Amino acid sequence: MKMTEGEEMNVHSEREDAELEEELRRAAARFDPVPGELLRAAIEAFTWRTIDAELAELVFDSLADQDEMSLVRGPQQRRMLSFEAGGLTIDLEVTRTSSSRGLVGQLIPARQASVEIRVGASVVTVDVDELGRFRAEAVPAGPMSLRCSAAPAEPGTAVVTDWVSI
Amino acid sequence: MGAGDEDGDVADFEASDLVTAALRGDKASWEALVYRYSGLVWSVARGYRLSSADSADVFQTTWLRLVEHLGRLSDPGQVGAWLATTARHEALRIARGVTRTVLADDATLAALGHVDDRSPERAALEAEQARLDAVRADDLWRAFGGLPARCRELLRLLVASPPPSYLEVAAALDMPVGSIGPTRARCLRRLRDRLAGDGPDTASRPHGDVSDTASRTHEDD
Repeated sequence: MKMTEGEEMNVHSEREDAELEEELRRAAARFDPVPGELLRAAIEAFTWRTIDAELAELVFDSLADQDEMSLVRGPQQRRMLSFEAGGLTIDLEVTRTSSSRGLVGQLIPARQASVEIRVGASVVTVDVDELGRFRAEAVPAGPMSLRCSAAPAEPGTAVVTDWVSI
Repeated sequence: MGAGDEDGDVADFEASDLVTAALRGDKASWEALVYRYSGLVWSVARGYRLSSADSADVFQTTWLRLVEHLGRLSDPGQVGAWLATTARHEALRIARGVTRTVLADDATLAALGHVDDRSPERAALEAEQARLDAVRADDLWRAFGGLPARCRELLRLLVASPPPSYLEVAAALDMPVGSIGPTRARCLRRLRDRLAGDGPDTASRPHGDVSDTASRTHEDD
């Protein structure tokens, strides 16, 4: 161990570091393991796989993109999200209460479609009005994704959004 | 260092094979990905000290994202780093949103420690030696909980099971790969100090951090 002299020897070898790290790994596995039900949920997530839809990626999130000034005002009650796929934008406003979420969204350009709100293990289908707007009340908190059915004029262009925690 | 593929250090190309197979619809490959990287994803959320409910959301959202992004990864061999980055973004978002978030304090973390796990290894640990180990693990976990945030985040990731690569850790923390080694050494030293009951009170003693670089003669990549 080529170290500067001086300080009392609190310098440890790489081997001792590795041992302490392994010990901490065992402690983490014991005290803070991945919960079994989450492992199962992650495995089950595969069943949400869509092969016939276009992905609308998250392009704006007021939580991630807001400036620091608005952060100091405390928890936001409203969150704006925006997803984009090819020619479709989905804007979504999420309002929160302690246990559930309200959603108001709009498809731009408006299309005649139905929107499935996929959250947890459940799916709620809502109608879209002629301006492309839709809404849902009392959606449970947790990971959520929207699936927008194909426009009748253009079959095969169903769209699913990225998953976000709401 | 063996070429064994049983201890978690499987080569990168296997990750991309798993991604490719999962993309074709192979559920077993998906499960293999989950088993391989769930420890990493979980440790990102836990490193940010999110509540259990929020950590669960980060974890689930990250895996659901991957389901939709399997065919869009720019480098399927680095799916671990992609997961780590995604989990970090999601954790930061949740930490800002204060959804169900209650920042966990040390006491909560310590209490969480007593939630049981049912790992197969557990069954083997019945003897007296195990009891002593448990006491030591307790002390170690408590000392870990008292570390500064940066150290806790880094060490929590490094001790995920199976151990993540430095690249994945760098992605999870958004820090340069090169600074992981020195920071790890410093944080382990702090952990050792705390374990020795040698807490922050001794902080008046000059820290010999300048000499740290000299002690790092090698670093595996």
